[in-house]
Amino acid sequence: MLDIVLSHMALVPKTFSVGDTVRVTVSFKYAVGVNTTVRLLAGPYSTNIFGKHMVDTCVGRADISLAAASTPTPQTADVDFILIPSAQGGINDGTYGLRVWIEDTSAVVEQDNVLIVTGNPAGATDTLSAMMPMLMMLMMLGMVMPMAQQMGEGAGE
Amino acid sequence: MELKTLALDFGVIRVLQVGDDQPAYQAGWYLDPLTGQRVFYDPATQNFYTMAGGIYIPLGYMNPSPKQVALAPGEKLKITMSFKYSGPAISGAVCYYSIGVYGALGFDEKITGQNSKSIPQYTTPTLVTDSYTFTIPTSVGTNWDDIYCKIYSGSPSVPQSLFGYENALLIVGKDPTISEFTIADFVKV
Repeated sequence: MLDIVLSHMALVPKTFSVGDTVRVTVSFKYAVGVNTTVRLLAGPYSTNIFGKHMVDTCVGRADISLAAASTPTPQTADVDFILIPSAQGGINDGTYGLRVWIEDTSAVVEQDNVLIVTGNPAGATDTLSAMMPMLMMLMMLGMVMPMAQQMGEGAGE
Repeated sequence: MELKTLALDFGVIRVLQVGDDQPAYQAGWYLDPLTGQRVFYDPATQNFYTMAGGIYIPLGYMNPSPKQVALAPGEKLKITMSFKYSGPAISGAVCYYSIGVYGALGFDEKITGQNSKSIPQYTTPTLVTDSYTFTIPTSVGTNWDDIYCKIYSGSPSVPQSLFGYENALLIVGKDPTISEFTIADFVKV
């Protein structure tokens, strides 16, 4: 049984550049019957009309050792994550939420609009946008060509 | 490991004596000090009753626990029962203790223990206590959170009295219980 109490966070939005490492410090109380290790994860997420989406490539992980304690014991822990540039499949410039959670538990906490990401090379996103129609045409051509070839062979017989 | 304790008070217990078994209470309504619930005592059956849907039903022996004790495998739990007794000396009464799971089908005992108790003669109600210490096994289930104890048998015989607490224990298992999880800060490093 997990009993999670989320308290109000007063996180102030901060600006980071792509390539930066962000260190998140969490505090919690735990109780566990045996010495154990849990995995703490943190990363940015974006929000749109379809919900919240983790930027998976930027999620950081840290293993935290918990000594056996039968009464709720205060603990703090750090987890780092890197803001990988969009050119490397990472994060675009913009404003993101921050989510932190402990794997295999219901311990999760997040706050919208606290990570402001800048520093991607200018036009990187625009270049990709400009290339999209061309990529789409190439994909369609790849699908249509074999069909046309097949029809041509059929008419020749 | 820390020794943790729970105490259960039976109130008044009288020895069963043929022809001299006067009830300690008069027939009528009483207020249960534990729950604040109105209960009716019937001296004919020597039972307390509460009203449910117009039907009087005997009160259960399980009660909400006044406190919850957190326990992990290997730790020790000392349960102390107490009651007031007046009457002849008793030898060989059984003080019985159990940790288990209380549900719709009753109390599923998981681990038990007992002491043989001799009580001297008292002419006035006198506080008597007995204790048993459990060592929580590694196989403990997280739902083993109820306890009860009883006293019975002996010579002369003590009428069986049961008393228990629901949700008295918080069993801490191999999976961590996390609370008050918050982001303290986030910075560039």
